[in-house]
Amino acid sequence: MVRSSSLNGDSSASHRRTPSRTVTLGHIQPQAPSCRTVYCNDRDSNMPVRFKGNSISTTKYNVFTFLPKGLFEQFRRIANIYFLGISCLSLTPISPVSPITNVAPLSMVLLVSLIKEAFEDWKRFQNDMSINNSTVEILQGQQWVPIPWRKLQVGDIVKIKQDAFFPADILFLSSTNPDGICYVETANLDGETNLKIRKALERTWDYLVPEKASEFKGEIQCEQPNNSLYTFTGNLVVQKQTLPLSPDQLLLRGCSLRNTEYIVGAVVFTGHETKVMMNAMNAPSKRSTLEKKLDKLIITIFCVLLTMCLIGAIGCSIVTDREDLYLGLQKSDWEYHNRLAIGFFTFFTLITLFSSIIPISLYVSIEMIKFIQSTQFINRDLNMYHAETNTPALARTSNLNEELGQVEYIFSDKTGTLTRNLMEFFKCSIGGISYGCGVTEIERGIAQRNGLKVHEEERSTGAIREKGFNFDDPRLMRGAWRNEPDPDLCKELFRCLAICHTVLPEGDESPEKIVYQAASPDEAALVTAAKNFGFFFYRRTPTTVYVRESHVEKMGKIQDVAYEILNVLEFNSTRKRQSVVCRYPDGRLVLYCKGADNVIFERLADGMDDVRKVTREHLEHFGSSGLRTLCLAYRDLDPETYNSWNEKFIQAKSALRDREKKLDEVAELIEKDLTLIGSTAIEDKLQEGVPNCIETLSRAGIKIWVLTGDKMETAINIAYACNLINNDMKQFIISSETDAIREAEERGDQVEIARVIKEEVKKELRKSLEEAQLYMHTVAGPKLALVIDGKCLMYALDPSLRVTLLSLSLNCTSVVCCRVSPLQKAQVTSLVRKGAKKITLSIGDGANDVSMIQAAHVGIGISGMEGMQAVMASDFAIAQFRFLTDLLLVHGRWSYLRICKVVMYFFYKNLTFTLTQFWFTFRTGFSGQRFYDDWFQSLYNVFFTALPVIVLGLFEKDVSASLSKRYPELYREGIRNSFFKWRVVAVWATSAVYQSLVCYLFVTTSSFGAINSSGKIFGLWDVSTLVFTCLVIAVNVRILLMSNSITRWHYITVGGSILAWLVFAFVYCGITTSRDRNENVYFVIYVLMSTFYFYFTLLLIPAVSLLGDFIYQWVERWFYPYDYQIVQEIHRHESDASKADHLEIENELTPQEARSYAISQLPRELSKHTGFAFDSPGYESFFASQLGVYAPQKAWDVARRASMRSRPKVPKK
Amino acid sequence: MSSNTASSSAGSGDSSAARKNSKRPKYSKFTQQELPACKPILTPGWVISTFLIVSVIFIPLGVISLFASQDVVEIVDRYDNDCIPAPARTNKVAFIQGAAPKSCNRTLTVTKRMKQPIYVYYQLENFYQNHRRYVKSRSDSQLRSPKFENQISACKPEDDAGGKPIVPCGLIAWSLFNDTYTLSRNNTPLAVNKKGIAWKSDKEHKFGNKVFPKNFQKGNLTGGATLNPDIPLSEQEDLIVWMRTAALPTFRKLYGKIETDLENGDTIQVTLQNNYNTYSFSGKKKLVLSTTSWLGGKNDFLGIAYLTVGGICFFLALAFTIMYLVKPRRLGDPSYLSWNRNPGGGR
Repeated sequence: MVRSSSLNGDSSASHRRTPSRTVTLGHIQPQAPSCRTVYCNDRDSNMPVRFKGNSISTTKYNVFTFLPKGLFEQFRRIANIYFLGISCLSLTPISPVSPITNVAPLSMVLLVSLIKEAFEDWKRFQNDMSINNSTVEILQGQQWVPIPWRKLQVGDIVKIKQDAFFPADILFLSSTNPDGICYVETANLDGETNLKIRKALERTWDYLVPEKASEFKGEIQCEQPNNSLYTFTGNLVVQKQTLPLSPDQLLLRGCSLRNTEYIVGAVVFTGHETKVMMNAMNAPSKRSTLEKKLDKLIITIFCVLLTMCLIGAIGCSIVTDREDLYLGLQKSDWEYHNRLAIGFFTFFTLITLFSSIIPISLYVSIEMIKFIQSTQFINRDLNMYHAETNTPALARTSNLNEELGQVEYIFSDKTGTLTRNLMEFFKCSIGGISYGCGVTEIERGIAQRNGLKVHEEERSTGAIREKGFNFDDPRLMRGAWRNEPDPDLCKELFRCLAICHTVLPEGDESPEKIVYQAASPDEAALVTAAKNFGFFFYRRTPTTVYVRESHVEKMGKIQDVAYEILNVLEFNSTRKRQSVVCRYPDGRLVLYCKGADNVIFERLADGMDDVRKVTREHLEHFGSSGLRTLCLAYRDLDPETYNSWNEKFIQAKSALRDREKKLDEVAELIEKDLTLIGSTAIEDKLQEGVPNCIETLSRAGIKIWVLTGDKMETAINIAYACNLINNDMKQFIISSETDAIREAEERGDQVEIARVIKEEVKKELRKSLEEAQLYMHTVAGPKLALVIDGKCLMYALDPSLRVTLLSLSLNCTSVVCCRVSPLQKAQVTSLVRKGAKKITLSIGDGANDVSMIQAAHVGIGISGMEGMQAVMASDFAIAQFRFLTDLLLVHGRWSYLRICKVVMYFFYKNLTFTLTQFWFTFRTGFSGQRFYDDWFQSLYNVFFTALPVIVLGLFEKDVSASLSKRYPELYREGIRNSFFKWRVVAVWATSAVYQSLVCYLFVTTSSFGAINSSGKIFGLWDVSTLVFTCLVIAVNVRILLMSNSITRWHYITVGGSILAWLVFAFVYCGITTSRDRNENVYFVIYVLMSTFYFYFTLLLIPAVSLLGDFIYQWVERWFYPYDYQIVQEIHRHESDASKADHLEIENELTPQEARSYAISQLPRELSKHTGFAFDSPGYESFFASQLGVYAPQKAWDVARRASMRSRPKVPKK
Repeated sequence: MSSNTASSSAGSGDSSAARKNSKRPKYSKFTQQELPACKPILTPGWVISTFLIVSVIFIPLGVISLFASQDVVEIVDRYDNDCIPAPARTNKVAFIQGAAPKSCNRTLTVTKRMKQPIYVYYQLENFYQNHRRYVKSRSDSQLRSPKFENQISACKPEDDAGGKPIVPCGLIAWSLFNDTYTLSRNNTPLAVNKKGIAWKSDKEHKFGNKVFPKNFQKGNLTGGATLNPDIPLSEQEDLIVWMRTAALPTFRKLYGKIETDLENGDTIQVTLQNNYNTYSFSGKKKLVLSTTSWLGGKNDFLGIAYLTVGGICFFLALAFTIMYLVKPRRLGDPSYLSWNRNPGGGR
């Protein structure tokens, strides 16, 4: 593929082609028609163009824009706008309160938010600075001189050492590797950890040492900066010679150099013009569902406020009477004439008076709580720290903590998330005997659920353990297989493994050092297995496979055998098998075949029914343990048969039309009359604790969907391994691999194919849905599972079928979508998110999961191993799938509970406060006279009641972390949103009305007459201060009543708040100022405290107000207990210390017993699942083409390419 | 918190250096959320004892305060209607604004022995001394110090008279109550002491002893009482009492105290000057004689409230005990868990 084109000539043509293979992470930016010309190693010539510098800035503000921009950001919040409006109103004479009442809290809130913004921006700034100041060596004169990144300019010649990051987009000139290649890791860009090869133009290979490089004078003509990561077109003009450039010569910023001592390159794009920066995207900021509901609550409160004001306004316009002489109404006053005007102005007066009903500090408090929750609790949880990769959990946003407590659907990627992408040869069956002692995760899980404790079995001391091989059975290892009943068959199996594959050996030809390059990890595992059994495959040429065989019979003698490979019949998804015809050195002609059990069994020679039956049983057993199986068979060929067949094969191979089809047909002719050798079972190693985690999560009421790019077999297999599907479930499989579809595809008409598939999918969906509904109506119907592949999904997501798909999948406990593209992953996620209005969570590790992660309510990236792309797009990053248990069941649930309580409490305390004011309004002729002093009112929210609720939001725990995990069902309260329903709001509102009435009425009723022995009388401010004191006490103590876990911080803050009020009152009431102000409350608190009456009310009123809540809580707990309350009661005598041992189970068996028990517990006869799975190389190119990357199309290409390389690669110094 | 790929490159750039250092979070009870805490559960024992404790504390307090209130003797006499001569009652406002003599005689009978000091109050009803327009119409700095004589901006419409500031300005002062009472027992005059009726703090700090009334009640309309311009405000206790505005439209103000005991059966003649116009807004006027206890005046509310709450708590404790004995619910019964009650279903 030639991707470079002359820029002047047919740039339009290249533009026409680009979009089809361009993948961009952000929005596509229009490309300027012109090109850029860079003079290498010549700063002066580049001067006139004024390229951008290499320093980057990701900050939001600078010193000058901070205040205006920051304030603008703040006032995008509706609550802040509201308070700004109220503050403006309170500056006008219609306000009953002084402006301070509203301005003070608002400025406090703004100040806190701005400080937070400034702090975050400062951190970004420091981060930028550390990047900009990291050093890189550039050529100056004839020397490498280190300079900071920010001083790098376009055209500079730079030297990058191994493992360093590229400071800008660089044109690759030369490398220490002789053939001008270097390896780069692109993990930061696309999340792929496999190394990419970049190759310099041969013309520039020599410019490596400074003396030589300084001679380099080139001119680069290339495209303008753009954000397409995988394209680059341009020319390099060196000494009047024009050389085309391709992406192979471009080293992108953000990547790092690997396995290469150093490289030299010329800077092309710098700073914000690099491709990675052009791709920089701001993750769409997500708001939690609870916060959106909170908006509704705020609107409701606002309506309540308007109602209250309206009542007051109407009341005022009725009762205002010009005969009230003492009001001194003049004829010129508006109050004297127009009742409508009275109502109108009173309305606004009352709005400023009652503005405290909307809790201004709510948002800022919640933000603070969430910030601490995420940075202190989630990021520092030792339970979520993964020691092996040294990765703690990371909350990248603090917006979504409580969303974690309400997740109902989890969409999970497979590879790297559920599995380790590590295939291990685990078991095998040879001639009807099963070998291998391992116990898989799923077996262990089942055993544990049945109350057995399975020990990690002791490995026999000499057991070989390496990547891809996790097999131990003394009957086979160390050549012991020769004592088995059928040693010849064993030998055939090992040879089959060593010969029938498309693996390439690399590196030293010794068993320890060799590296197998395989199209799929399964193949590598099989070849590794052969190596460990003594059949070491070490070299491949286009026609020969060399195997070093240890012949145990001959006492450890080692013999190199060269097998001539005559034909390779490739693997594809229709054939589901792969064969190799080889000739032994002694002339024996053998066809080795490996493939899916059903395919192989069909082609076996007659007879051997016993072995067949036993092998099938083994396959089923392997399959239900979550292992991936392959059947192996061989056939001895006589030369005549072979030769006649080979002619047909060559004919088919050179056919011009339908080559694939013809090859398949020819293969059929020889792949028959096979002799069954046995089967292999490979463990697709799950991440630690995955089945247990999935089991726990499903008990918590969370439904888990697996969305994977893998083939259907693999996906189903993993679903088995993860316990998502088992044999008791009713499975609906909607696959595009049906005869009808295949037929249509062969006819090849695109429109026709689409129509047929759509019809098929529609039919299948309808049928499945009907059946599913049938099961739903029966009481004890089986659980349902849906498996659907990407092609069908494409049609099922069509608007006409979407509803059917949704209702079917919502009825299923688990759903597996296989062969789905990244876009489809996102579509499925938003189908559930938008269609079913459920809270969704996506978890994945690679670049292909980014869209899904961003589409879900909560996106989780797996950190620590793969690249950064998924993590960068995610909201939370954890190192292991199993940490979801802690993240959701502990942190999520607590956060949800806490935020709900905090919101409700805020609502309650402000309502209570405002209602006392409202009741008072009725007794002031609706004049809008304020009940409380200005300062009391403004400090009520931000000072006297602020801290306890934050402590509540941090430390509230209904049950301990271990109980949360032990009773995952508690999580369902979050899914049902039990703590943030209108019913709960109503209860709190009732409580607020009750308490405000008690506080207001009790004081006003009892303070009418003389209140001490000297017959003195209370005035307005005495009464209001008394009410305020009672209110502060009641509202603060209420925190203790609603807490399930009271730490000393609760006592300190509750006590402190009450004390703060008293101290404030003492000081505030004790001073006079020379300012012109109404010193209404002067000395009031001292007057109050000089009476017995004060203390009598102070005991009575808070007690009575809290008694109501106490009785309610008690009745609720006793008659309608929440689940967590029952759990609290069950474990009321346990201290936190004993928590670790909850999951210990008493009866312990020896490993042997445990294993046999575990195996005996496995479901048997039902199974039709035999666990065939084999990743054909085809699927990788499927994705690669989606991503615009060109991967070799055929597995065999890998072999062919390697064979073209003449000598085995020797690692360089 | 925006993210971008650039910072990612930086992040991992740093991390390669930091890779040697463990990122293992440090253990602390705070970050692991294991702070020692008390976990109250409302068990029957707790609930019953809470109710019992409340009732044990509240009932005696109720009894004490009720006794205190019972000791207080109170005589209330409403006179606003009766003090208008019968012919004038059709237009009371005209009468009160007219020049006719406003003198009026009332007779009170003491029904129970009253120990000195006996406090004389006037009680106004339907008088919104807490009206927004009214409350703010004063100038505290003017009251405190002669320096601020001109701070009258808040006092509208009673801020100045002919361009000169009124001291004390504002509606409150302007509408000073001006009915007067002269009491006699069995034709012997009863001295009413008008000293010490205001809160000490008001007298000493809010009303200056160098501030003298000026231009008071010189406007077009006379609102209420006039003040002696030779006595400083700090000595004008009627004004001080009046200006501590009441919380509710029904309020009492201390008028003075009688420093002799009144015996059961004594009759008291009150000669009052019915000057104050409450008729235009149909406000009631009452005269009150009352003794006090250590808890203040006649106030059954506190005692009744304490007794009621204590009683309810006692009753609840009893009821719950009986209920618990008759139909107990085992604490922590797993069958109450929603997933056990109704597998797969919800609460």
